[in-house]
Amino acid sequence: MSLVSSYSVSRGTTAGWLTAIRMPPIVAISFAVVVLVIAWSVAPGLFTSYDPVNGVPAQKLLGPSAAHWFGTDHLGRDLYARVVYGTASSVSSALIAVVIGVVAGGVIGLLAGFLGGWVDTVLARLVDVLLAIPKFLLAVIVVTAIGFATTNAAIATGVSAVAVFARVMRSEVIKTRQATFVEAAFLLGGSRWHILWRHVLPNASRSVLPLAVLQFGDSILVIASLAFLGYGDPPPASDWGLLISIGKDYLKWPWLVYAPAFVTIATVLSVNRISRWLRKTD
Amino acid sequence: MTERSSPLSLSRRRLLVTTAAAGAAAIFASTTSFTPALSADDPRKGGDITFLIDSLGDTWIPNNSAISSFQGHIWGHVTDKLVYVDADGKVSPWLAERWEQNDDATQFTLHLKSGVTFSDGTPLDASAVVANLDIWYAGRKSEGINPIGLFPKTYDHAETVDAATVKVFFKKPTLGFIPTLGYHGSILISPKTIAAPAAQQADLSKTSGSGPYVVDSWKEGDFVTLTRREDYNWGPAAVGHTGPAFLDTITYKLVSEPSLRVASVQSGQADIAYNASPQELQSLKEEGFTIATPRYLGFVNGWAINTKLAPYDDVKVRQALQASINRQEIIDTVYTSDWKLATSFIQSNVPGATDHGDLLTYDPAKAERLLDEAGWVKGADGIRTKDGKPLSLTLHSNPYLATSRSIDELIAQQLGKLGWKIDIRAYDVVTYGQKVTYGGPAVPAYEVTRSFIDAGTVASILTNANNGENWFALGESDAKLNELRDRIAGAGSVEIRNPLLDELQKYVLEQGYFIPRTQIVQRIYVQSPRLTGETYNGVAYASYYTATISD
Amino acid sequence: MRNAYLTYAAKRLVQAVVVILLAYVFTFVVVSILPGDPITNVLRNPQNGFTETEIEEIIAAQGLDKPVLVQLSTSLSNFLTGDLGLSMRTNRPVTTLIAEVLPSTLVLASAGLAVALVLALVIAYGTRFLPKRFGQGLLRDFPSLFLSVPNFVIGLVLIHAFGFQLGLFRVIQPDSFWATFFAAIALGIPISAQIAEVLIANLDHESEQEYAAVARSRGIGQMRLFAKHLLKPSSLPVVTVIALTIGELLGGSLITETVFGRNGIGSLVQRSVTTQDLPVLQAVVSLAAVVFVLVNLIADLVYPLLDPRVKLLGAPERRPAAADESSVNVSKVVTS
Repeated sequence: MSLVSSYSVSRGTTAGWLTAIRMPPIVAISFAVVVLVIAWSVAPGLFTSYDPVNGVPAQKLLGPSAAHWFGTDHLGRDLYARVVYGTASSVSSALIAVVIGVVAGGVIGLLAGFLGGWVDTVLARLVDVLLAIPKFLLAVIVVTAIGFATTNAAIATGVSAVAVFARVMRSEVIKTRQATFVEAAFLLGGSRWHILWRHVLPNASRSVLPLAVLQFGDSILVIASLAFLGYGDPPPASDWGLLISIGKDYLKWPWLVYAPAFVTIATVLSVNRISRWLRKTD
Repeated sequence: MTERSSPLSLSRRRLLVTTAAAGAAAIFASTTSFTPALSADDPRKGGDITFLIDSLGDTWIPNNSAISSFQGHIWGHVTDKLVYVDADGKVSPWLAERWEQNDDATQFTLHLKSGVTFSDGTPLDASAVVANLDIWYAGRKSEGINPIGLFPKTYDHAETVDAATVKVFFKKPTLGFIPTLGYHGSILISPKTIAAPAAQQADLSKTSGSGPYVVDSWKEGDFVTLTRREDYNWGPAAVGHTGPAFLDTITYKLVSEPSLRVASVQSGQADIAYNASPQELQSLKEEGFTIATPRYLGFVNGWAINTKLAPYDDVKVRQALQASINRQEIIDTVYTSDWKLATSFIQSNVPGATDHGDLLTYDPAKAERLLDEAGWVKGADGIRTKDGKPLSLTLHSNPYLATSRSIDELIAQQLGKLGWKIDIRAYDVVTYGQKVTYGGPAVPAYEVTRSFIDAGTVASILTNANNGENWFALGESDAKLNELRDRIAGAGSVEIRNPLLDELQKYVLEQGYFIPRTQIVQRIYVQSPRLTGETYNGVAYASYYTATISD
Repeated sequence: MRNAYLTYAAKRLVQAVVVILLAYVFTFVVVSILPGDPITNVLRNPQNGFTETEIEEIIAAQGLDKPVLVQLSTSLSNFLTGDLGLSMRTNRPVTTLIAEVLPSTLVLASAGLAVALVLALVIAYGTRFLPKRFGQGLLRDFPSLFLSVPNFVIGLVLIHAFGFQLGLFRVIQPDSFWATFFAAIALGIPISAQIAEVLIANLDHESEQEYAAVARSRGIGQMRLFAKHLLKPSSLPVVTVIALTIGELLGGSLITETVFGRNGIGSLVQRSVTTQDLPVLQAVVSLAAVVFVLVNLIADLVYPLLDPRVKLLGAPERRPAAADESSVNVSKVVTS
């Protein structure tokens, strides 16, 4: 999906998105979902009185009800509470992945594009290798090497996104470098690093940012997939992907899969929606 | 699927299981009723079954794979053993018709059944048995063929007396030798296969055994299909049938999701689902499916405590731990009533196991008192501390037992109430093997899932004598344990040994060296009611040699 | 011209080989970070009852305690001579293992790609030509919805609905037609979204072009307009996207194969990863790199055929650069 975004990234208009006040209702809902998710991860205790770790064993596998919105799991724990308490880890791990992808990819792309020559050649080969290995396969291999945990899954996801960010950054830097105002700065005798910092970076990062927003949604899914395959945190962690993965062992009680899956889908969809709306109003 | 809940077939299966478990007299009585001469038009003959399994293991080199919880199913049908061990640990003749031993149990003579052949035509004679004993003991390490880990390390050599007689020599008394021959590692393989290089042995279709089935086709990580061997005529008398098997084919098919395995059996797409989630068993039973939760002979599921690691070097803390676990709640929450409370640190069906359930009762008041006495004071956050250190326990969930994580979570809740601080670590099989060992520096409690055939070997596993595994990191420091170990090893008969075993069980539990959780069921079978007559051996493997299927 | 092209091709080929070798070494380095391998893994199975000394003895007997660099150079020189070695987990030749599972993955991946293309065309055409009240807006939302659903959830739902509730396929026969069909849907849905997005963006652009206007004024039917005039030029970046989605198809098959219980490259990777079966992982990664490089090469060759406006020698200077340029071109096209 990051591929697509590199095609549809819009630029050129300087009118900030803030000026666009008219917000379609669906975007408003998306914002509400994201705000709720952020609130869940910041203060989960405000949204549920149940304990996500210690359940009431006698109340195991109850269906959704007024008392337990998403039902209870195999140890009698309130699933809604587990989803709410698992939000922080799900959201922060996706953030870690994005930061790794943007920073590492950005630096590689920046150096390759700005310095050119042998640096570009060497870095290009590195990016080629990362590109040639399917993203998810790369993530699986990396997470195996560094150990099964949600943070490690996030790192692996970030590593697998480095190549895409590096590529976009590099082409943006090359374009900006050739722009008239940068040429002019060179002619005026500006230092390379000053030009890099003042002119190239801000311009290039403008097209990387929407890609990063999309990558956030994608990372939630990739980390959930890794958790599904069993590469996540040990119990009693309750990341969304882990919850789906545990739930799939109890398909007779389908809410154990559908409730966390629904929350995941709603969040990623909202993030994608917002990112699309941002691009349109750019 | 029409006769899903036929009570008739259910009771017949029970009857067979009971028969297999009964004494010798009952076995011979039932033999006559169960083994009429099997003719080609025997109505019980025919049918194909599909067994859904969660893994088909790794390599198929017989020595390296025989103990695999998954591959053992296939080996059980493709190969035979010298003796048969039933679910109650009773040893009976199979390919060894009878045996003798000298007084100090250092020499054994095995008399083999005649006319037995491997599927490649090689006779299963004395020289074939010697070739197998040699490779079990030594393997071919440089080629990647491992020895069988639990084969007696005291083995010296074996020689053929005549075509049907083998004499086996040991360096030291080895009472456990004969039971070991019925263990899942001791499968008899054709000498031609044994002589083949490792890469060839790894191709299952090139391996020949003498079992009632032969490998028809297989694909790595996918399936193994077995077909009946028509000239098979040497089944173990203990299962009540010796002729060819009834079912035409058995297919072991890998389906990694437990819920999909069960759902496939429910919808009639397969006949047996292995390792179902315990939570589903109750409703499956109500739907009329046969549920089997055979217990293997071995240790119960529980922790071997590392007595070198503080605070578990303090006997009071260990005893408090013993009393802090609500074992009934584990069974009620994670398992079903098919599971049994632990009454010792060995399963209650092991000959020589005695009931020490009184030492394993849930007594939070006693636990709190012991912890108070040991100086662990409850803080404001509910966690006990001593000298500024929290009362912590790190649990490493055992990757070989699917329910291990759930139990760890539940125990963490139970212990948390009494002031323990619990960390749960769940590693994959590889990392677990690397990081989690008995008495490891960061492993206060090693979760045991281990079968054995003879209780006499237990004592030496617990200590470090004779290359033992030193489970409690005691070394030679506990004189009483060492004394019991030596007396058990030297016991010449079961009558002398059993009271010593009883004393050992009581002592280990009292000292809190071993903290049992529940009796272990490592193999769970959900079976279509159409399929009946299977048997379970001492290591809880299902054999469909005697099974039949109705329409 | 021809000479220049040959030089370019030779250069590309050398780069491709370098990338494949680097991928091989990369996998070795990453997987070797952790101690442990399938052999010790089997030895450490608690049922085996080996003591630590015995394990060390067996490992030494097999030469597994050699320095990592020695192991790497042995493995690399074998790889160069085409010998992929023995799987440590199964003791069988890696080539045999891969040959056993490759057909299943090829079938799934091509079916998945076909599903993705059909869905993408339906979405793109629907978004473009369906009257508003017939759900045009709804269709436009499909790509982002498709990209938001984890594909293992799609797989679980399909298996439950069609495998068990409707009994359309036997879950334990994942290679049957319907099982493959639904696995392809689970695999194809997220990928269709990527292709559809590009297709829509370019349809939007192309239809603004003069010739479309001309064609429309001549009264050409919508369907024919779509097929004849718009689809062909706008499928140009789609070819690039397909080339790049090959990786996604392989990665997605890792999950889809697990969910549907198919025995393919993906499940082979799963089994090898959990036991750190290095030779198999190296072979699969190199294979993926080979496929990626080949498909992209083919895409480069197909490119000029689809659109005569692309000069043969102008655009492809170096693959990543070419990809960059095409992406930049497209984005310019979209925003202009």
